[in-house]
Amino acid sequence: MRSITGTRRLLKWVGNALLVMMLVWTLVPFYWMVVTSLKKDKEIYGFEATLVPRQPTLANYTRLFATTPFVKYVRNSTIIALGTTVFSLVFGCLGAYALARLRFPGRGLIARGLVVTYLVPPSLLFIPLFAVMSTLALIDTHQGLILAYLSFSVPFATWLLMGYFRSVPVELEEAALVDGCTRFGSLVRVILPMSLPALAVVAFFAFTQSWNEFLYANVFVNSVEVRTITTGLTLFVVEDVFFWGPMMGASFLSTLPPLILYLIFQRWVVKGLTLGGVKG
Amino acid sequence: MAIRAEAPGADRTETVSVGSAQARPRRLSRALRQEVRLAYVLLTPTLLVILFLVAYPFWSAVYLSLQNKMVGAPGRFIGLANYLELFRDEVFLRTAWNSVVYTVVAVALKFVLGLTMALILDQERRYNNFFRTLLFVPWAVPIVIVSLNWRWIFDDLSGFLNNFLITFHLSSNIISWLSDPALAMGCVIAVVVWAGTPLYSMTFLAGLQAIPKELYEAAEIDGASVIQQFFYVTVPRLRTIFLTTVMLSTIWTATNLQFVLILTRGGPASRTEIFPHLAYMTALGARRLGMGAAVSLVFFPVLVVLIVILTRRMLRPTDE
Repeated sequence: MRSITGTRRLLKWVGNALLVMMLVWTLVPFYWMVVTSLKKDKEIYGFEATLVPRQPTLANYTRLFATTPFVKYVRNSTIIALGTTVFSLVFGCLGAYALARLRFPGRGLIARGLVVTYLVPPSLLFIPLFAVMSTLALIDTHQGLILAYLSFSVPFATWLLMGYFRSVPVELEEAALVDGCTRFGSLVRVILPMSLPALAVVAFFAFTQSWNEFLYANVFVNSVEVRTITTGLTLFVVEDVFFWGPMMGASFLSTLPPLILYLIFQRWVVKGLTLGGVKG
Repeated sequence: MAIRAEAPGADRTETVSVGSAQARPRRLSRALRQEVRLAYVLLTPTLLVILFLVAYPFWSAVYLSLQNKMVGAPGRFIGLANYLELFRDEVFLRTAWNSVVYTVVAVALKFVLGLTMALILDQERRYNNFFRTLLFVPWAVPIVIVSLNWRWIFDDLSGFLNNFLITFHLSSNIISWLSDPALAMGCVIAVVVWAGTPLYSMTFLAGLQAIPKELYEAAEIDGASVIQQFFYVTVPRLRTIFLTTVMLSTIWTATNLQFVLILTRGGPASRTEIFPHLAYMTALGARRLGMGAAVSLVFFPVLVVLIVILTRRMLRPTDE
């Protein structure tokens, strides 16, 4: 018995030490991003790793708003991420209800198809999708990018909601149906109100994944008017010269929406993650 | 806990309704027909997405890979010529090797670090929730931003790493982290690991917290050491989560081109070239769409195995 408590104490200290190391490893890069954005160019391009800016300045941020299309990029990202979120929620709810509650031929096949679809990586699809988008004249449009994002957010939404809807007791819905509710009515009045956590998870993942997406945004969009923040950032590099100050400022600002959402939804995020809800 | 939680016992409704269907066939068959119609109406948007945005593009990728199609020009069917050309290409063979190293090493490191992190966060400690939140931050940062930020850290002249090493006299000369052939791959993998570890820790931690404490107490009474408890209680309980996480992460790691695109563009001298990035450069850099499709499809057979196993796991009503 004594040796076990001894080991426990040892483990506790090893754990604490490792925790400190991991916090450093995790936070220093993030801290460096923030601190770079608050420095003057002279300090940024100096030869010292100053952890606290000598003369903190917001100059990089004013430069960002005054001389770059940053605001436009943020607007585009917001439009596209919100559009994707709304469509995935609506499509997901409808499809998931059918898969969870109705009996029809091909149900198992469709459920399997959803998962397979979700697992097919974008790096395999971007070349043919580029051809599809060109044919449909959807290159350089918000609609085109939203459509492309639906290819991963709808299967995930449908699949996650399907599992959740099944866990809503059938008796509740039967009661509503007996009382004269239509199928659609019972979806809206019985199932959805009981599935709010799942809807939140779906909305969270749809929004952040679209906000963070890069490959499709890079391939299907060229114009500044539609460009999203992730691809816009890479344009702060002009002829191999990086403007690190404004770039780190922009990086920090555009990390805030997913970061804040993560802080709010933390508890539910894990549930979505354990279901494979992230491409990381 | 992982998959189990959301894949509940299949269709409770079924047995009831089928029973009553035999009792009153005619009325119910009409009801059933209506149900089938409603189901397909509700599923239409989802099916359209699957068919037009995934299934069709996938097959058209296969077809494209058999053509010599360039951007903006019609292609001609050339059979397996693209694939044959690939297997004779030295860059391609190097890319294949790089992709394996990149994926295996990154996934292994993420696994080890993620499990360590989860075990640490599962210990009793004050402010643990706060530490957990901090350690999971990289997960919320968009990968492009992660990569740009690290590119800045690795910068030759004023990057944090070089400045830090020189300020503390740990190194006397500037190290070209991303353009040194011996270091580049290691640096890229470090960034992949930084961004990807939280996913592992989150899922593992959720699994750890679902293990009943009594199991450990029982093992302790039986005289199991801490290490034995880990291997005989923890590991078996987490096996499903381990497998699912590793397989999912392998797919996403192997096919993510953002890290390489932003950090090294495959350089120096193709040392960090991996399949998805090579496909991207071939299709959009060299404008050879057909060849690009071939490159992206070449590693697909490996993914298929993972996708098939995962699909089965993710739809299974209960695990074990």
